[in-house]
Amino acid sequence: MRAIALTFLVWLLALPAFASQSIPVDTGKVTASLVSSHDSVAPGQEFYIALRTVLDEGWHTYWRNPGDSGEPVQIDWGLPESVSAGDIFWPLPSPIPTGPIVNYGFEGTPLFPVKFTVSPDAQPGTVITVVSNFYYLVCKDVCIPEQGSVSLPIAVGESFEDARWKAEIDAALAVSPTRGRVQGAIKKSGEVVDISFTNLPEGNFSKAYFFPHDQGIIGHSNPQSVTRGADGLRLSTIPDYLWEDALPETFEGILTYEKDGALRGTNVALAVGQSLDIGAVATPKAAIGGATLWTAIIGALIGGLILNLMPCVFPVISIKALSIAKSAHGERSAIRREAWLYTAGVMATFLLLTIVLLALKAGGSEIGWGFQLQSPKVVAALAVLLFVIGLNLLGAFEFGSGFQNTGQELTQKSGAAGSFFTGALAVIVATPCTAPMMAGAVGYALAAPAIVTLAVFMALAIGFALPFLLIAYVPGLLSKLPKPGPWMARFKEILAFPMFAAAIWLVWVLSLQAGEDGVLIALSAMLAVGLAIWFFKRKGTVGKVLGALSVLAAIAMPLSVAAVTSSGEIAAGKLEAEAWSNARVAELQAEGRPIFVDFTAAWCVTCKVNEKLVLNKANVQKLFVETNTAFLVADWTNKNDVIAAELAKYGRAGVPLYLVYNNKSVSPAILPQVLTYGVIRDAIEGE
Amino acid sequence: MTISKILFSTLAVSALALAVPATAKITTGSNVSDMTVTDSNGVQHNLSDFAGKKVVLEWTNEGCPYVKKHYTTNNMQKTQAMAEAEGAVWLSVISSAPGKQGYKTGEQANEWKEAQGAEVTAIVLDPAGDMGKSFAAKTTPHMYIIDESQTLVYQGAIDDNRSANPATVAGAKNYVAAAMDDLKAGNAVAESDTAPYGCSIKYQS
Repeated sequence: MRAIALTFLVWLLALPAFASQSIPVDTGKVTASLVSSHDSVAPGQEFYIALRTVLDEGWHTYWRNPGDSGEPVQIDWGLPESVSAGDIFWPLPSPIPTGPIVNYGFEGTPLFPVKFTVSPDAQPGTVITVVSNFYYLVCKDVCIPEQGSVSLPIAVGESFEDARWKAEIDAALAVSPTRGRVQGAIKKSGEVVDISFTNLPEGNFSKAYFFPHDQGIIGHSNPQSVTRGADGLRLSTIPDYLWEDALPETFEGILTYEKDGALRGTNVALAVGQSLDIGAVATPKAAIGGATLWTAIIGALIGGLILNLMPCVFPVISIKALSIAKSAHGERSAIRREAWLYTAGVMATFLLLTIVLLALKAGGSEIGWGFQLQSPKVVAALAVLLFVIGLNLLGAFEFGSGFQNTGQELTQKSGAAGSFFTGALAVIVATPCTAPMMAGAVGYALAAPAIVTLAVFMALAIGFALPFLLIAYVPGLLSKLPKPGPWMARFKEILAFPMFAAAIWLVWVLSLQAGEDGVLIALSAMLAVGLAIWFFKRKGTVGKVLGALSVLAAIAMPLSVAAVTSSGEIAAGKLEAEAWSNARVAELQAEGRPIFVDFTAAWCVTCKVNEKLVLNKANVQKLFVETNTAFLVADWTNKNDVIAAELAKYGRAGVPLYLVYNNKSVSPAILPQVLTYGVIRDAIEGE
Repeated sequence: MTISKILFSTLAVSALALAVPATAKITTGSNVSDMTVTDSNGVQHNLSDFAGKKVVLEWTNEGCPYVKKHYTTNNMQKTQAMAEAEGAVWLSVISSAPGKQGYKTGEQANEWKEAQGAEVTAIVLDPAGDMGKSFAAKTTPHMYIIDESQTLVYQGAIDDNRSANPATVAGAKNYVAAAMDDLKAGNAVAESDTAPYGCSIKYQS
């Protein structure tokens, strides 16, 4: 009996040696204690002791950077010589907003582990008494500074783990951020500070946030807008006062993100004054619902279809329609063959354009869709081409065989080659009209690997050629086409006028790109065409030679057109427009004004339609005045790398693009390509 | 516990994204616009009334430990007296919303001023938080100094020791006193921006 009682007593006395937790201290709103990973330690060993704090419901304590207010948790150790302590492994902070103020801190049961190292000279059989004097500010709606002191004896001898506390400490250490391989940089541009990261670990960064170790670097209460790139991440936010002074080389902090449903963080040192290349930027979710490959392909198909209706395309399509009408009651197989050849012409031209685009991009140029119309030489050549086609339709001349093997002759032939070249011509003139659904698909395609780009553009080509394929294959449609007759000659002549109209539009675009001289050259080339036609109608070799010379002149002149750089002219019409620049946007944002940015180009018909029908209307202008909205125009009529890069940022490779910055968030709303007053008003008011 | 932690954090970060963005801080060196404020006696003042004098703004909250640190040691009162002696206007501002810590009616504010021996020109009552938010004031105490030409020349903490312990006041460097000295000597303020510390201002929202 005595033996049992004694054993029981000894066992009771031995208990404290196994409970590696100090007596908890209730400081008011927090109960604190020290816990140790080991009950006893060997000399020279490393182990962990943590300050374990249990906070009352709704109360919080603060991280090493407490944010806008507050004070961090502080631990001072009273240690014998046989042991030394390292720094706190801080838990991941959370932002704790209260109205306009944001703090960084913890709720619940935050654990603050510290690594201890036992001296190799520690004597087994002794006891190390670790004393912790701690302090924290604990707040809910009011703040209370609390402090206390706890001590924990640790035996020196064999190493014994304490299963319970070691598990809790290990769990905390696993989540405590450490320095990984993430590279970071931070740069202030105007009123915005951009933090870029590369070499990211696996995880979901859509709600990434950067907690700086020090105050004064960024505004703690400002949102950080996330831009995810192929190689990294960028967070943009508002800078704080430290940027006015001399800057250190690095700022340290924690980048937090989600992984497997849990919040994770990594310690990053940001190189100050630099920025890292985060790679191609994925289409932001605000745009056409996040393009995947299939969405892009289907979008391209539909976009191609709609492109047939665009004003640029219609005159050229009408030639094809005419030739089909002629042969509509001919052999079915011949019609089908022509439809396929037309499709082949369309696809071949798209392929060629895509390859040129990819080659230029690989060479580092910042170009986008419609790039061919950014060259005034091309615009002038196209204008002359359309003029010639119009003349031909009017009956000013007929081409014989011989060396005048130009495209327009071939489109007149209702034979194989004709269909092919009509397809090619249609594509060339269609490209500046980005149909609504195309923009997202094209943007996605250009940012994706080459094979994807090709796939999307081929889908576009098929969509574009689809009407004719349908006519050739769907039996009912063919018979709906009118029978040939004298009306065809009249119809052909009438079609000349849309051709001339398209040529006039191109000359207008040319006037913006190359000035009065460009117009002069284009019109002179047209004169040369007229001369060539007249010469060729003369009998005799002199006529033919002079005709040939005129043709050469007509071809050579558009090539001599030079762009005039003063086309920084804001082609926006009545609205008081300023030139767009990132710096100006940042300035206006700092002033708190809403901003409407119009990315446009003279050769972009959709843009001009939006401007004429919506932006220049009285109600929109009144809205801008009432809301003090600034109207910025980014004119992409000529090549401009800065604008192209900005378009790429939003997943676009062409214009139009409409952005609205309101003072509710750092990143702008992207408006659809077809504008209405309601859409603009909702965006400005921040719905 | 992990799940609720994640939820809490995610909610907090999302709330941050949706939160009303802080009013843009007034950059030190910029002009302070006119503002009409009402004091504890019901008298209206406009900041432009004080053109030609230096103005010191002190955000305060009687219950905040950090404010108490400066008042129980008489540090704030001494700083106030020093500023007044140099002809500056001192406005103590209470931006606490009704029902929240630090809120005072006009009468209570005057009583408090008497009890503390605070020599201030006026105590501004800002329960709606408009004045606080236009200065992007975050903490109590939070100090601003506006010079004679209505330019903001200092914003930040009153001194360089962020502790709530009154014993730390004696050894700390008083930024406001240093700034006033710089201005008296006709120089620019050497340390014009510091990180404010204290309790968060108990705004209405």
